[in-house]
Amino acid sequence: MVFVKHRTSTNVTLTTWKALFLREAVTRLAAGRAAWVWLFAEPLAYLVFVMTLFGFIFHRKVGGVDGAMFVVTGLLGFNFARNTFVRSMEAIKANAALFAYRQVHPIDTVLVRAALEAFLNLLSAIVLLAGASLFNFEVLPTDPLGVMGAILGLWLFGVGVGLILSASTKLVTELGKVINILITPLTFISGVMIPASTVPQPYRDMLLFNPILHGLECLRGAYFAAYHTVPEASLAFLYLCALTTVFFGLALHVRYSRRLVAE
Amino acid sequence: MIIVNDVHKRYMTDHGAGKWVLRGVNFVIPPHVNVGLVGRNGAGKSTLLRLIGGIDTPTRGTIERRCSVSWPMGFGGGLQGSLTGRQNAKFVCRIHGHDEDIAERIAFIEDFAGIGNYFDHAVKTYSSGMKSRLQFAMSMAFDFDVYISDEVTAAGDVAFTNKAAAAFENLANHAGLIMVSHSEETLRQFCQAGIWLHEGQAQWFDDIEEALARYNESISK
Repeated sequence: MVFVKHRTSTNVTLTTWKALFLREAVTRLAAGRAAWVWLFAEPLAYLVFVMTLFGFIFHRKVGGVDGAMFVVTGLLGFNFARNTFVRSMEAIKANAALFAYRQVHPIDTVLVRAALEAFLNLLSAIVLLAGASLFNFEVLPTDPLGVMGAILGLWLFGVGVGLILSASTKLVTELGKVINILITPLTFISGVMIPASTVPQPYRDMLLFNPILHGLECLRGAYFAAYHTVPEASLAFLYLCALTTVFFGLALHVRYSRRLVAE
Repeated sequence: MIIVNDVHKRYMTDHGAGKWVLRGVNFVIPPHVNVGLVGRNGAGKSTLLRLIGGIDTPTRGTIERRCSVSWPMGFGGGLQGSLTGRQNAKFVCRIHGHDEDIAERIAFIEDFAGIGNYFDHAVKTYSSGMKSRLQFAMSMAFDFDVYISDEVTAAGDVAFTNKAAAAFENLANHAGLIMVSHSEETLRQFCQAGIWLHEGQAQWFDDIEEALARYNESISK
């Protein structure tokens, strides 16, 4: 018989993350009939909806760039922030049964979901852009490093908000309902469908309190050489918000670690 | 060896701090001893098991585990309903750091659980007896020094209970068991020593019969 060998904390955490990641991936991609189809169908359907709504399919320019590509980049970038925090917000509730194993902590489930979300969004972005290139869209970014920087910032902000929301909705259950109401208008004030440069003052300054808008503006600025980025858009502001929320979220998880496990 | 020192526990409720479930529990479980935990409903048996298993922390006091302890098996905890038995088993192997020999352990679990084809069906389609079988098989796949069972044998049939008891007899010289059960028969079959939980206090008995006698005396009053 082999006895349970002594393991370091780091080793326990890393194996737990791996196990959780594979578990989450299986539930997302293999549970239900053709669950993976929705990974691509969902953003695609949304895209068609938005483009029909604004009537600029294939022939209008928005903010100096092609209308379709404008929405595609906005939506994909936005998803990196929104999907991450929406999915990781529910991580604790969805994995409650697993806290029977002392290796699994609430924070592990949140971080793993966020990582999985980054991976899946990357996958669906690649597939959508590859599909768009077949229709002769200009899909290669002018400044790939800038794009990556903006995407990473958006995702980190999603992680931070996810950490905060996962802990606070568990502590104050009613909060979950309020958050779901607030998420809907987030699409409109984050500049997914309209460039910030078309918003008149003083409303533009108000919208610019939203770090996701900064992220999307910088993302498009790096993606298209011709895009009219508003001068206020700042990647530093996005990263500042991301680090603040991540820090605050981690602090919440440390402070209330005991109550987060309780049923 | 497990040392429980002056453990107090209360839960937070919607109306602030709840009443004390455990009030100053003290005992030492020596190595290789099978202990039965008895007490009426709500006496804090499951709470104590969760604390010993390390998935919850005492409000006051300390618990020292000088050995490896299993997770508390029972009541379908630790199983994800939407995943199959095999996927759940894989997950447990992985978090215990057994990535290399995962195939052998899965084979062991599949064989020990004895639930046939259902091993590849979603756990939510299982009967409670099948869930217990799977849970028990999963924890037997690892070599813990102490196994914690929260009524896991209650839903199993006689064949399974006997199989579980036989497995424990094989382990008797290098592993112990802490179990909660409302069946005196099961407790006698598995345990030597007993702990009687009463009004937030715990009393240790070297003989399970004595613990059962005290418990029966207290409920007949």
